[in-house]
Amino acid sequence: MTLILGYVATLLVTFFTYNIFVIGLNIQFGYAGILNFTVITFMAFGAYFYAVFVMPHADNSSQVFYILGLHWPWPLAMLAGIVASGALGYLVGLIALKRLRSDYLAIVTLATGTLVYGLFGNNNKLFDGWSGLFNVNQPFQSVATNHPNEFSWIFVVFSGVVMLVVWLFANRLYASPLGRSMRAIREDQDVVDSFGKNSFKVRMLAMVIGSVIVGIGGVLTIQYIGALSPAGWTTGETFVVWAALLVGGRANNLGAIVGSLLVAVIFNEATRYIPQVPSHPNLIPNLRNVIIGGLVILSIWFRPQGVVPEKKASFLEVPLVDKYAQGFPGEEPGGTLSPAASEA
Amino acid sequence: MTIFLLNIGFGLVTASVLSLLSVGLSLQFGVTNFVNFAYGSYLGVGMMLAYTFSATLHFPFWAAAALGTIFTGVVSMVIAEGVLEPFARRRKSLFYMLIVTFGLSLVLDNLLQIFYGVDFFQYPVAQSSPVTIGPFSFTNAQLEIIAIAVVAMVGVHLLLSRTRLGKAMRAMSDNMDLARSSGIDTKNVTRWTWFISGCLAGLGGIVLALNIVSFQTNSGETLLFVIFAAVILGGIGQTYGAMLGALVIGMVTEISTSFISSAYKQDIAFIVLVLMLLLRPQGLIPAKGKA
Repeated sequence: MTLILGYVATLLVTFFTYNIFVIGLNIQFGYAGILNFTVITFMAFGAYFYAVFVMPHADNSSQVFYILGLHWPWPLAMLAGIVASGALGYLVGLIALKRLRSDYLAIVTLATGTLVYGLFGNNNKLFDGWSGLFNVNQPFQSVATNHPNEFSWIFVVFSGVVMLVVWLFANRLYASPLGRSMRAIREDQDVVDSFGKNSFKVRMLAMVIGSVIVGIGGVLTIQYIGALSPAGWTTGETFVVWAALLVGGRANNLGAIVGSLLVAVIFNEATRYIPQVPSHPNLIPNLRNVIIGGLVILSIWFRPQGVVPEKKASFLEVPLVDKYAQGFPGEEPGGTLSPAASEA
Repeated sequence: MTIFLLNIGFGLVTASVLSLLSVGLSLQFGVTNFVNFAYGSYLGVGMMLAYTFSATLHFPFWAAAALGTIFTGVVSMVIAEGVLEPFARRRKSLFYMLIVTFGLSLVLDNLLQIFYGVDFFQYPVAQSSPVTIGPFSFTNAQLEIIAIAVVAMVGVHLLLSRTRLGKAMRAMSDNMDLARSSGIDTKNVTRWTWFISGCLAGLGGIVLALNIVSFQTNSGETLLFVIFAAVILGGIGQTYGAMLGALVIGMVTEISTSFISSAYKQDIAFIVLVLMLLLRPQGLIPAKGKA
């Protein structure tokens, strides 16, 4: 029973954190049409920076090296991790968002991912190289001492609350004027430009907000597991987030929930129980990646709008007045221009 | 100073490898107008096919390399016909085309790993001791790489300037609709473009593997953004620009190793890419209507 309860808790935390990743990507891609091909790097940034802010100074005798080691209280360290992830998003946006073509941003995100992966892996003074960080201080450890599952369940509640806040925020953003501008840019940037919107700024905001949210998910991940190494954030992981978003339905946070449940939890967990082939230890993970890549392609072919499609914007129809019949020079033509016209 | 000159020699080798790869990517981009993120995986396909032909089936190495090159072209053409062109015909937005190629890269990489595993491989060719030419020092393989690249670049130049196919490719790259209305069989030209792009990727993968001697299925993957850097530097979709970009990136990355650790070679390419995007995003030779 203890085992099952612990497993259920882990599943729930996985579900919540992936949901946060997918919502972050959704704000970038679903809302603003920004192709971020290295979502997982932002997760790693959040997680690593949380770790080095919360852990005590590196003890050189243990052969584990990392920068900083400030031993801050965990809420402050959490904030630091989130800020680090947002800052990376800002830098990437600064390089590539001024360009019109979305290829450039995609290339820059991919390049950043490759670079950061190599840098963090090969340089063992930054975040302990390929072996990664472990024994990262977890929150609530001082209160959760009675039972092995107590920490897990406290964390289920904690990550659930964080996810709920992120979810509400994302929905609020979707309906806000800023969210509308983002979606308008996704459809046609020239139109938005001609309306006098600063589309660079709006896209940058989407990029940074998305990165911050993915960073929150990263912090939660390392808080729960207590360790992270480069093997935990490969390109395949980025695809899990992409597949979840595309299967669930882009630009719709309900779709994000459905997608992360289907792909990140049910599919990913179910494939863990396929017995390993002794001669090919990587066969199952490789097959899983092939299927996830295929899932991405097939979902774009058969159902690009996802399981839960984005709701079509509905506007209050105001009957059009014949503006030429009664228009006088100097008078506002039409008079009752519907809000639909200015938002379309 | 001697190290500096030596590195110029290595820069020439890297530039040769990159020139094959960036021209292949650039040709395809010019005609189809979307970036193929699965291109890095085609390198792996070429590399591993040449390994199978030479080490497992005991073909002479030159034949294995030729077969690997052509088969990668075929793979590229089949993928384009089966997956990418149907998406393009449906007029899916650029976003989706990019995500599809990105997804394709994951599928191809993992298929390669399923077939070949994660071991390191080596071609069954004799490792010669370096030959000294002036201030430079090359292995035989490296001299061959430079020769292959020069021949391939001349070949691409002749293709683009002398043949009907090449002229059609240039016309489609300039203006797709105009090309179609002047009676160019755009479907067929697109198909051949994917084949040539795949051949260059495969050949590039094989010479890359020759250069680094011991390789894995995903050795080409991290090179992908260095190729992008070269292509963007030259002006995206510009074939001659891609050659120039490859030369610059190859030289800069190798010469940088005279001053900093060679572990940061790729970071230098990234810095060049970033500077280029900030200062001159249209590339050294800008293309009309692209970017």
